Amino acid sequence: MSPESGFEAHNAQSLPVDPSLVEGRVPDRPPEQVPELHEVDCPPELRERIEALMSRYPDRRSVSIPALWAVQRLYGWCTPQGIRQAAAVMRVTPAYLESVASFYDLLHTEPVGTHKVAVCTNISCWMRGGDELLDAFRAAVGDEADFFVTGFECLGACDISPMASIDERYFGPLEAAEAQTAIEQLRAGDAVLPEKALEKRPLPGGPDA
Amino acid sequence: MPETRLLLKNAEDPALRTLDGYKGYGGYATLEKAYREMEAEDVLKELEDSGLRGRGGAGFSMGKKASFLPRGEMQKYLCCNADESEPGAFKDRELMQRNPHQLIEGIAIAALAAGAGHAFIFIRGEYDLQADILDMAVAEAYEAGYLGEDILGTRRDLQLIVHRGAGAYICGEETALLDALEGKRGNPRLKPPFPAVQGLYGGPTLINNVETLSNVPHIVSNGAEWFRGFGTEQSPGTKVVSVSGCVRRPGNYEVELGIPTRELIMDLAGGPAEGHELKAFYPGGSSSPVLKAEEGLDLPYSFEAMAEAGSMLGSGSIIVADDRVSIPHMALRTARFYHHESCGKCTPCREGTNWTVKMLERVVRGEATPMDLDIISSVQENIIGHCLCVLGDSMAMPVGAMVRKFREEFEVVIAENQTELVTA
Amino acid sequence: MGSRGQEITLIIDGREVGATEGEMLHDAAKRGDVEIPVFCYEPKLGEPVGACRMCLVEIEGIPKLQTSCSTPVRDGMVVHTRTDQVKHAQSAVVEFLLVNHPLDCPVCDKGGECPLQDISMGWGPGKSRFTDPKRHFQKPLELSPLVAIDRERCILCYRCVRFSQEVSEDEQLQLLDRGDRTFVGTFDDRPYVAPFHGNITDLCPVGALTNYTYRFRARPWDIEQAGSVCTLCPSQCNVSFTIRDEEVVRVVARDNAEVDDGWLCDRGRYGFEMFVAEERVRGPRLRGGVEVSWEEAIAKAAAALEAGGAQSAAIVGDASNEEGYLVQRIMREALGSPNIDSRPSSGPARETLVKLAQPEISARVRDIDDAGVILVLGTDPLHSSPILDLRIRKAIRRNGAKLAVATEAPTTLDGGATAVARYAPGGATHFLSDLANGLRNPDQGEASEIAETLRDAESVVVIWGDRIAREGAGAATALLDVASALELGGKDGSGLLEVPDFTNARGLREAGCLPDASPGLTATATGKDTESIRAALESGELKTLLLFGVDPLRDFPDTEAWKKALAAADHIVAFSTFETATTAMADVVFPLETHAEKDGTVSHPDGRLQRVRPSASRPGDIRPNWGVLAELSLTLGHDTNISSQPSAFAALANTVPFYAGITDSDIGGRGIRWQEAVPERAGGAGSPDTEPKAPTPPAETAPAPRRAASAEAAPPAPPAAGSLALSTYRDLWAGPITELNPPLRFLAPQQRVELSVSDAQRLGLSSGEEVSVSRNGSSVLARVAIKERVPEGTCLLIEGTAEGNANGLLNGSRVSVQIEKIVAA
Ligand SMILES: Cc1cc2nc3c(=O)[nH]c(=O)nc-3n(C[C@H](O)[C@H](O)[C@H](O)COP(=O)(O)O)c2cc1C
Ligand code: SF4
Ligand code: FES
Repeated sequence: MSPESGFEAHNAQSLPVDPSLVEGRVPDRPPEQVPELHEVDCPPELRERIEALMSRYPDRRSVSIPALWAVQRLYGWCTPQGIRQAAAVMRVTPAYLESVASFYDLLHTEPVGTHKVAVCTNISCWMRGGDELLDAFRAAVGDEADFFVTGFECLGACDISPMASIDERYFGPLEAAEAQTAIEQLRAGDAVLPEKALEKRPLPGGPDA
Repeated sequence: MPETRLLLKNAEDPALRTLDGYKGYGGYATLEKAYREMEAEDVLKELEDSGLRGRGGAGFSMGKKASFLPRGEMQKYLCCNADESEPGAFKDRELMQRNPHQLIEGIAIAALAAGAGHAFIFIRGEYDLQADILDMAVAEAYEAGYLGEDILGTRRDLQLIVHRGAGAYICGEETALLDALEGKRGNPRLKPPFPAVQGLYGGPTLINNVETLSNVPHIVSNGAEWFRGFGTEQSPGTKVVSVSGCVRRPGNYEVELGIPTRELIMDLAGGPAEGHELKAFYPGGSSSPVLKAEEGLDLPYSFEAMAEAGSMLGSGSIIVADDRVSIPHMALRTARFYHHESCGKCTPCREGTNWTVKMLERVVRGEATPMDLDIISSVQENIIGHCLCVLGDSMAMPVGAMVRKFREEFEVVIAENQTELVTA
Repeated sequence: MGSRGQEITLIIDGREVGATEGEMLHDAAKRGDVEIPVFCYEPKLGEPVGACRMCLVEIEGIPKLQTSCSTPVRDGMVVHTRTDQVKHAQSAVVEFLLVNHPLDCPVCDKGGECPLQDISMGWGPGKSRFTDPKRHFQKPLELSPLVAIDRERCILCYRCVRFSQEVSEDEQLQLLDRGDRTFVGTFDDRPYVAPFHGNITDLCPVGALTNYTYRFRARPWDIEQAGSVCTLCPSQCNVSFTIRDEEVVRVVARDNAEVDDGWLCDRGRYGFEMFVAEERVRGPRLRGGVEVSWEEAIAKAAAALEAGGAQSAAIVGDASNEEGYLVQRIMREALGSPNIDSRPSSGPARETLVKLAQPEISARVRDIDDAGVILVLGTDPLHSSPILDLRIRKAIRRNGAKLAVATEAPTTLDGGATAVARYAPGGATHFLSDLANGLRNPDQGEASEIAETLRDAESVVVIWGDRIAREGAGAATALLDVASALELGGKDGSGLLEVPDFTNARGLREAGCLPDASPGLTATATGKDTESIRAALESGELKTLLLFGVDPLRDFPDTEAWKKALAAADHIVAFSTFETATTAMADVVFPLETHAEKDGTVSHPDGRLQRVRPSASRPGDIRPNWGVLAELSLTLGHDTNISSQPSAFAALANTVPFYAGITDSDIGGRGIRWQEAVPERAGGAGSPDTEPKAPTPPAETAPAPRRAASAEAAPPAPPAAGSLALSTYRDLWAGPITELNPPLRFLAPQQRVELSVSDAQRLGLSSGEEVSVSRNGSSVLARVAIKERVPEGTCLLIEGTAEGNANGLLNGSRVSVQIEKIVAA
């Protein structure tokens, strides 16, 4: 009695037989184990960067986040190809690195625009217009693929709320109108809102008394 | 009353960032003294006697924690927790950006006390500027022989690495920080074993906050007695307090612990805008149960007073809400944060934060009934004390407090389906 | 895990419970009959993670509830598991777990055997207050061609991913995303293909991970479980067959710490569809497929053997101890022929085998756990005895064992090894005598890195592939020399553990399937080994060949020579489970039972006698093989007096001195190592009709020679310019296992030649291109696979593949080959 006829016998009137019992399933793609270097043609600079990192830490796995930063800097996001290359250098599975990458908000496992704008919408910024600022940035960017605008949890700059992190630098407090300005400056490649840069900000209490 | 600046002293001077600038104000003299003239035990004793309490949230005695590390030859580690991701907190950012060498000196001295040969600064990935500044400062310190092998010819070594996170609040939890540093997903570990016994790479590990460690050079150079001259009996020293939300002058103020909270919020930070009343505030970051104005304003700003009032000083971050702020909406923002940041490892936190957000969303949409408020409260109780780490509690406590203290406002919101919020 | 503390008592729910200090509270409670619900806790996975929070209990003196899965017990501890506080917490956790669970039990395969169902009933609130939308995933998805994943049912207990990280260490299965968005997945949605991945379906406490081979095939109430032993490889894992209507529909692990640690490889788990394959021999038949009655078949077979008489030979492979025992009796007693073997070509002489079998230098599987150093020698356990691969990883990861690997080719264990040595194909003997010297006089030598690792180890377990013994007599002697240099005899927890090619190789040797030893490895008139049998058939010196569970044309070296030999034989009688190229050349073919149908004993390589029990019905007109053999012997005029399986085993036990007195009940469900069977009972109560015998093989323990100064000890000459030394291995997936089990078909290995990056460059070869690998005359087609860790000058081929079988190139000695591109005409 072959399995499927056996199956029919038991469940004549019920569920369909699983094809794998009859002809077996065939994976659409091969599994991904630890890739060998000669398989991934890793750009030398990436390889050297990651190897340099590995030499500094007591354990090579510790470099997974820095290595993924390096991949993201090189490709704009953590591309499957970039992850495989880093995995080959670190001698771990790409799955391991993807798992790590997907845990962290700043590492992107999907394509994103080159200019990254994160607008804080957490408590203090929300109280002072964070949502409106986010809307303003979204409007200013429209569907331009070059920009990646997101609302973000507290960025640790409630003193300049409402604020935004633009290409990894902090600016605030921002008027909704300044979103437009900032985006134009990014397009033009000019310095963004120089007078609103966190660096420029004095202590609220002024110099030592 | 003015600020009392120890850690933020001279912070307005941009030159302070550089090695020369820092040395110009007497920097690294204490490191030289400690490495040349002191034994680990002496340093440890000063720190314990000073009564310095952790500035990262738990408020545990720093010296005591350092003394928990086993003595002996094994490889030990020190981790500086610079993940500062709790809503309302931005003091570590200020300290690292304006005075990186103070932190490095503190780390080097603490490492001496703890017998650690490797140290790490785990800084949240968003703090790119501050991480660059630290990288520069660390390079200078290596250059000058304050870090690396055979420091100042004392045959003592310390390797210091600035390790950037990648955006996950949970990595501020000390054991999650260790997993992240080991290259894993930042999930908290079971305790015990505590990091002091078995931490990074399985070795004894001292974990302290940026501000805690920035205090160390001052204590070791001026002595525990001097340090106890500031603050209260149980909360000695100064505190860099981040004040934000509905105040005129948000920012970091360094004050002696124990000053009236009113002075911090009303005088230093300027209080709510013209014609508005202070309604409630988080005394210690978004994880601390909110205090109503009348409950909190006249309390001394100290660990013990805030604990007595049923809240906590936490990281020392005050978020002020004035009469225009809708508490149910604030509760939702708070819950959303913890839901987004929950690592997902343990059930009550993963599912409880998710459930709470869904219910609060219905509340502000006016799609809830008063019975949902009871369920919200009960879900918070089901979370508290049942999780792997305290992230879950960090939502449950403030959200629970808000529902309890402002129940009628929740009911009004449900009733009126009021969702608008005027912003400052 | 390693060492345990002393006995203590604690109080759980008011009752005194005895426990071992340091064990987890949950386990202590369990032994005290207090059940504490768990989801994430599974000791087999290593350290507890305390993630699900289901097992919270109250411990006096500790304000917060504690997770009993991760709390070591202390003496005098007072624990409460049913207080209101605990009940409240536990039902809260259940309610939280169900917040995102679809509750689709009626259509879930786990229904009825689902921990989540049971615990929800026993500890849950009964109803949920959750009214908002649940999270949604596409479902079910193909996690692998064998396992379906339903992410909505997943309760994120971490078991499956921990298995992948910390047990099999393939690290393909991971958690992705964060918080309540977390899901179980793989890189880039690739299939999860790893040799042990089926275990996650046993581990999953909900219906999130299910076997395609079992989905919708049965419900818990129309199945029964039948315990047996898997004989698809020498690991002999204990399995439990899920039987529906007398057919196997599922195979699950039957935890035996002495053998398998509760894991199964996918070979044993999914290799059951072939029991009903078209190719199955379902009844006796003659050449050309003519089906005949048993009586006629047996008569024909008897005639063939009679014709051969003393010029008959038998080769036994996949057989139980009793079957092997009966075959050798037919040969020796009925036909007076000494020509019987149970090895693919040749092997050590009886004296050497006796020395190798001495209990004091034999290791148990369990010894691997606490070994100071593990030496893997001349085999890759993943392919030859998969479950040992997991055992070795566990010893390294959890108990800090050191691993030394010495092989011709890279192994999957190299990554975790302290020392790795590669010797040239056929160079094991030389390597071993070098190692022995290196161990005795700590100067340097080729093997020194390995020697360093082994020197002054507390205990050493040597896991060695029996194929090294085929290099010649010197190999086994050199191995014994290493054993004495390591003083394995003196250290407990130390010893040799053989990994043979054939599942029951040890049992068959001890049952007398050797050319120079009758049952019990006792001396007897010397006959021909497999290699000489082949030659003698070809030369006409031998007339009749009896093949029992072997397929020379696929499994033995030198296929061409075997074709000639089989063609030259006057008569061939073949016992076989499946139709093969070999059975096609046989005059009479008898069907064999599978390990789901057979009743008999097998001997694990560490000496453990285990019982294979009939679990499923035999398809077609298949009869118990012991009975067929007994009848065949009778027809040949020789009455074995064997009338049942028990009497067959009793006869064996009475003949093998060191099995003496072992009974079926001693073997029971867990098996028993004859080395540990109580000696004073040997020949005593157990089996009255035998006089006492020594519990060990005839001890001819002349100390091993100080040096193995035999011809083989010379290093293999490097292959001639332009050619590469050939190393071959039997791939886990080569053979009927993938050809006859549809679900495993996708794993059937295509022949590929693995070679080093530098050799590939030198020969101008790139990965994937088709080449011909040849040795004077014979050649096989293969695809190029460039591998960093393959040593320069060596290349690898797989034995037993359907196409391009490497056995076609082998000739029983060192072989070097040429590789040429196939120029498309
Ligand atoms: C969810 C969570 C987040 C935390 N985040 C931080 C943080 O960002 N920075 C910090 O210093 N401590 C943080 N902590 C506290 C740390 O776990 C730890 O107590 C602290 O770093 C110890 O340093 P201290 O003793 O100097 O305060 C967090 C704790 C939890 C539970
Ligand atoms: S799939 Fe099953 S085993 Fe894996 S995490 Fe989910 S519930 Fe646990
Ligand atoms: S079983 Fe203890 S936390 Fe999961």
